[in-house]
Amino acid sequence: MVNQTAPPVRLGSQFWMVSAVLAVLAAVGIWFWYWFPIEQYLPAAIVTARQVDTLFRFMAATGTALYIFIAGYLVYFSIAFRVRKSDPPDAIGVQIHDNHKLELWWTIIPALFVVLLSAVSVRIWYEIMLEPQNGLVVQAIGHQFDFTFRYPQVNGEITDEMHLPIGVPVTLNLTSSDVIHSFWVPAMRLKNDTVPGLVTEIRFTPRLEGRYQIICTQFCGVLHSQMNKQVLVIESRDKFNAWFHGWQVKNAHVSNALPTTTGTAINLSNANIGAGQTLFKQKCSACHSTGPFDQRIVGPGLKAVLHDPTHPNLVDGDPATEANVAKILQTGYTGSIGSMPNATTNGLSDQDIANLVVYLNSLK
Amino acid sequence: MATHAPVAHPGGIAGHIHQEPQGFVRRYVFSIDHKIIGIQYLITGFVFFILAGLLAETIRTQLLNANGGFVSPETYNEVYSIHGSAMVWLVVIPILTGGFGNLVFPLQIGARDVAFPWLNLLSFWIFPVAGLMLFSSFLMGAPTAGWTEYPPVSLQGAAGTSMWAAAIFLVGVSSTLTGINFVVTLLKMRAPGMTFTRMPLFCWAQFATAPLLMIATTALAAALAALFIERQFGVPFFDPTKGGSAVLWQHMFWFYSHPAVYIMILPAFGIISEVLPTFARKPIFGYKLIAFSSMAIALAGFMVWAHHMFTSGLAPYLQLPFMILTFAIGVPTGIKIFSWTATLWGGKIHLTTAMLFAIGFIALFTCGGITGIFLAAVPYDLDVHGTYFVVAHFHYVLVGGSMMGVFAGMYYWFPKMSGRLLNETLGKIHFWLFFIGFNGTFLPMHWLGVEGMPRWVASYDPQFEFWNRFASISSYVMALGMLVFFYNVISSARFGKRSGPNPWNGRTLEWMIPSPPHYYNFKNIPTVYGLPYDFSHPLPYKGLEDELNDSPPAAAGAH
Repeated sequence: MVNQTAPPVRLGSQFWMVSAVLAVLAAVGIWFWYWFPIEQYLPAAIVTARQVDTLFRFMAATGTALYIFIAGYLVYFSIAFRVRKSDPPDAIGVQIHDNHKLELWWTIIPALFVVLLSAVSVRIWYEIMLEPQNGLVVQAIGHQFDFTFRYPQVNGEITDEMHLPIGVPVTLNLTSSDVIHSFWVPAMRLKNDTVPGLVTEIRFTPRLEGRYQIICTQFCGVLHSQMNKQVLVIESRDKFNAWFHGWQVKNAHVSNALPTTTGTAINLSNANIGAGQTLFKQKCSACHSTGPFDQRIVGPGLKAVLHDPTHPNLVDGDPATEANVAKILQTGYTGSIGSMPNATTNGLSDQDIANLVVYLNSLK
Repeated sequence: MATHAPVAHPGGIAGHIHQEPQGFVRRYVFSIDHKIIGIQYLITGFVFFILAGLLAETIRTQLLNANGGFVSPETYNEVYSIHGSAMVWLVVIPILTGGFGNLVFPLQIGARDVAFPWLNLLSFWIFPVAGLMLFSSFLMGAPTAGWTEYPPVSLQGAAGTSMWAAAIFLVGVSSTLTGINFVVTLLKMRAPGMTFTRMPLFCWAQFATAPLLMIATTALAAALAALFIERQFGVPFFDPTKGGSAVLWQHMFWFYSHPAVYIMILPAFGIISEVLPTFARKPIFGYKLIAFSSMAIALAGFMVWAHHMFTSGLAPYLQLPFMILTFAIGVPTGIKIFSWTATLWGGKIHLTTAMLFAIGFIALFTCGGITGIFLAAVPYDLDVHGTYFVVAHFHYVLVGGSMMGVFAGMYYWFPKMSGRLLNETLGKIHFWLFFIGFNGTFLPMHWLGVEGMPRWVASYDPQFEFWNRFASISSYVMALGMLVFFYNVISSARFGKRSGPNPWNGRTLEWMIPSPPHYYNFKNIPTVYGLPYDFSHPLPYKGLEDELNDSPPAAAGAH
């Protein structure tokens, strides 16, 4: 059927002129991305952020150039080869079916581009992976709905901001106390999920002073969009040390030690209501109000939880006695009405639990 | 009714003639005619499209202001979860495979029906039932964790999450049955001479899609069953505090949902490959390459699911092969885009609405494909995963791609369904409103994501307010375009210009028979001699001499 003796196809001078214009536009596109001041819009807070920007520039430049050619030819062909009023109604186009040489080229060239792109991506991936292992260790724990941070090398302090000294490599261990969250700092160009039951690790070296937003990018429950209150602060070593000391003093009435949950009964006799109230704001108020039971945030409201005989029972039908509440704070639970992290992931020591229980006891 | 008896094809191949059932219900409601079932899929799909589209406008209205406020955060989370689920499972997949697949491809291969007409009836009727179940989950607290419903957060979700799982499971059953039906039909019921290398490209696309429907959907079904069992009976598959794995769901879900991306785009590729040659009056450039690249894409689609999980604690050495394999899919996809563009060169291009949508498809899908490369690159994905950049990317692929393909198909094949043409002026208004509104809605999302706006948020940082408002207002323009489209479909089905059998000068088999076709499609099964896309040669069919003797059927679907 195919006409084997079709004359060779000529592209014509108009085609080459348009191609030249598109080539110039593509060059402008490449030039634009080469000079584009990404860091003016989004600072590069860590060393590898600039490598990621390089990869972005490379892909944006090649992608823009390719897109200019495809969109340009689409528009040009649609206008230049549209049917005219003067054409007979049954006018047909040039009947070419294929051109093996051309098809071979546009298979080989994208394939070579894939190889090149893979090489560039793998190289930058290696630079991210090769960040040193033995830096400052920070643990970030995702909760519904905030992150808490621990510095196990600096006596296990729990903080709500993440401070890092400039130029010191960091190993960030990520985990979650409830559902999957994702730890993202746009200024770092780096994120990782915090998965319950799994500790994942990202490593980086801060390079630029500043305060940067930490955002959760994995849907984690009703207040997911509120989970961007934490801040990553990158500062000089001296400032970092001063902040850390100040934090310890400020929170001296809360326990400074690593949680020492023992599993034995909590001694409630030395508890402090004021410290419990402070802790409640830090640790509990994201999910619990001090209003009536049905005033839910994530968990139920806790007004009079230890006094109101009509207040629904705790999980498993246990009555809300002081000992039982302490036990739940200690072990956490997962049940039909939701889940609550245990003392270790919440960073509560036995003393903290005692303080919380007397505070809850004071709600009437 | 046909006035003269059809001639059965000797030898039985594709030649069985059903008795045409009598009565409105048997003919149009519980029909076993693939064309009616195709139209039923389209109507049902578009009804769900309206509902899911209203949810989309709710999303954009909520995001007009940085602090939300149009609906509560809970409701907002339900709204986008059902929006995504409905668009994927109740709109794009059923319209492209069930709708256009059923309507067109048996005609294009010269068959009288699909291989298993009663199975086809069953797979259609599962679909609206499942759709109603999905939307009714609003009544009992809809799922909130997006269309991906990652546990453990979906284990905490309200009762509607279990309903969601059951509904999607049913849709999966329906697609699997459709896939089986299509594969058998295509392998066994092609007209004599309709070799694989003479098949229209839409059939190739459906042929590449059908195994995806059959194989990938089973993985989803297993995942959904596990989620349902865990939620209802507490058997821990996904809850890490009881010994499950929070990441297991993601592997099972994406083992389906990545191929599903190709279920949603390959048939649209097929539609574009039909529309372009017809309106350029040219053979499609590189027929074999386009056909084989569909198969390559379908195959490769099974090997890249973990690129959705680069941030989820996947072992780093696994990231590289998944990244490079994903890059590699760019090659067959690029081949298609180059070939379509080359098809336009030297044509006699009729810029009908269908053609505008096809050209718009190439422009928008290419953009989505390029941002797909960005997301495949692990170091860059670690930056923008879970942000509005991803939202922008997949809407360019699924709206700029799949839905533009659906519209091209609607304008192209509407005469085959109804015997009437859609209004071209309204069609062009629809195209431009949709095209401009679409870009205004989704283009700004690229930089919103890069600068720090995460997905799935009911409120956002005030610095992003300008572009969000811009996007929201543009989305109303898109909705306006859709109103024009629905008005056009409804009024043209009644009052549109009569099309005759072949209004576009098409060369594939469906244009050789009356519009709408007879119940049994072909009086005599034709014999095929060559490729359908060569305009300089006589039509490569024999045995169609009788087809147009009767006056064309009078009204939609009737004879």
